[in-house]
Amino acid sequence: MPETSTHPPGDPVIEARALTKRFSASVLAVDELSFVVERGQVCGMLGPNGAGKTTTLRMLVGLIQPTSGDARVLGGRVRPGLPELARVGTLIEGAAFVPHLRGLTNLRLWWESGGSPWEDAAVDAALAIAGLGDAVHRKVKTYSHGMRQRLGIARALLARPEALVLDEPTTGLDPQEIREVRRLVSRLAGEGVTILLSSHLLSEVEQTCTHLVVLDRGRLVSTGPTGALIGEADSSVYLEVDDRDAAERVLASIAGVGAVQREVGGLTVDIDGVARSEIVAALVHGGVGVQTVTARRRLEDAFLGLVGEEHAR
Amino acid sequence: MIALLRTECAKTVRRPRTYVALGFVMAIPVVVALALWANPPDPGDGDRFFRTATQTGLLFPAAMLRIMSRLVLVVVIGLFAGDAIAGEANTGNLRYMLVRPIGRGRLLAAKLLITVALLVIATITLTATATLAGGLAFGFEPISFQVFFVDQSVGNLLGHIGMATAYVSWTLAVVAAFGFMVSTMTDSPAAAAGAAVGLGVTCQILNEIESLGSIRDYLPLRYLDAWEGLFWSDRVPGDMYSGLVLPIPWILAFLAVGWWWFRRKDVLA
Repeated sequence: MPETSTHPPGDPVIEARALTKRFSASVLAVDELSFVVERGQVCGMLGPNGAGKTTTLRMLVGLIQPTSGDARVLGGRVRPGLPELARVGTLIEGAAFVPHLRGLTNLRLWWESGGSPWEDAAVDAALAIAGLGDAVHRKVKTYSHGMRQRLGIARALLARPEALVLDEPTTGLDPQEIREVRRLVSRLAGEGVTILLSSHLLSEVEQTCTHLVVLDRGRLVSTGPTGALIGEADSSVYLEVDDRDAAERVLASIAGVGAVQREVGGLTVDIDGVARSEIVAALVHGGVGVQTVTARRRLEDAFLGLVGEEHAR
Repeated sequence: MIALLRTECAKTVRRPRTYVALGFVMAIPVVVALALWANPPDPGDGDRFFRTATQTGLLFPAAMLRIMSRLVLVVVIGLFAGDAIAGEANTGNLRYMLVRPIGRGRLLAAKLLITVALLVIATITLTATATLAGGLAFGFEPISFQVFFVDQSVGNLLGHIGMATAYVSWTLAVVAAFGFMVSTMTDSPAAAAGAAVGLGVTCQILNEIESLGSIRDYLPLRYLDAWEGLFWSDRVPGDMYSGLVLPIPWILAFLAVGWWWFRRKDVLA
């Protein structure tokens, strides 16, 4: 991406400033939401259904007018027709096309409607990613949901975008396709494309995103690097042992092991920098039987915890 | 804008429904011409145009325009206009057009031009088919009989057919403008088309109600049939002038509301 290399990292690419959308007196979809996605980040927008994710993304690409606040993309204040939007690839609430046209014709007419010659589009690269083969010459109305979604991703990539806004990009895809999308996101991120994607699948976000924005009922619950939000992936371990008291004594003697917390079935241990194998070896050496060792799935806890706290207020 | 118009044209031209609608408009005059040819009407009674249509094929398009402009053309034009924006919203493609990005005003302008083109094409298709079918069945003859009190040469008749075609297109542009306006407000092209047809039918019913008096003179389709005088007198009927002016405020009002609405609309489709 030659365009991106001219910008330093840390430059805000997508930004919400006190973004608010009120659909009616009783429906406040997005409430004073502020966050920044900086160049090169892969930011996951996480939240339960109805949290305001899609409304926010639609405001960021000029489809919905904010009641108050600002949406900014690539330095421009978002409004319908903002020229900078041409450098943002978009997939919102499922891909949609003109059903009576072939896949390739759809891409071409969409591209040319913006006034650019077809030769300027990254057609081959986009089609390689879509992986539709000869099906691009079929009418879109004959496509399966997965095929449409893949063609939609191809369309989003035609402009060699600097940023991607992807709303639930894997919805309706089969496991194989989900993995392909995940790889694609990682690859594009590696090329310097800034990505904002929404999801309600924690695992998806955990694996692909460097940063998170957690929403609940239109409000920002938390934002920051994924690691900081959920704890470093290997910083915590869950143990099931036959003698918890003995285990606690052994763990206390290992340098680098932090807080030990008792849970219903076992112990959660902060192990900053200590290898899991070392802990197991020490426990066994100390005469403690170890039944289970698992890395803690912290994101789910963090997510439910964050959203749960909000609900409790 | 040119690029957008070109791609919109390509979408319309490649759409099967465009041809189904126009094919329907072509089929009706052919079928009616065949029926009249096989079973000529009694010259003594019935509608003036149909009675005489068998004497020269050049009156047959007038007969067809008269019956088709009241409902069939209204439906076809309503379908085209209602589809303009709502059709894109219905498939979800609208959001992708807007993020291309295509400015909303530009998108409306392009869609409006396509709608106008389809409206004119539909009306021309009707009269051209009817002229051809009528001429082949009953000959391209001038009028030199007493029914319409004036003699009309072939050139005269063809000119009047052209004028009537343009006049009906212009009058029905109100229906198109209304369908277009509703199309910016709903995600259902059928609802927008239905609204347009509803307007056309309602106006014609209200026109029949004498007790509405002069209120009727301001209803959009008041002078829909005024062109008929072209064929039975040697002057342009005065109602045609009124009929040329009347649509202007209606069309401007409908388009202004549609433009205003679409510019500030939250696109949720």
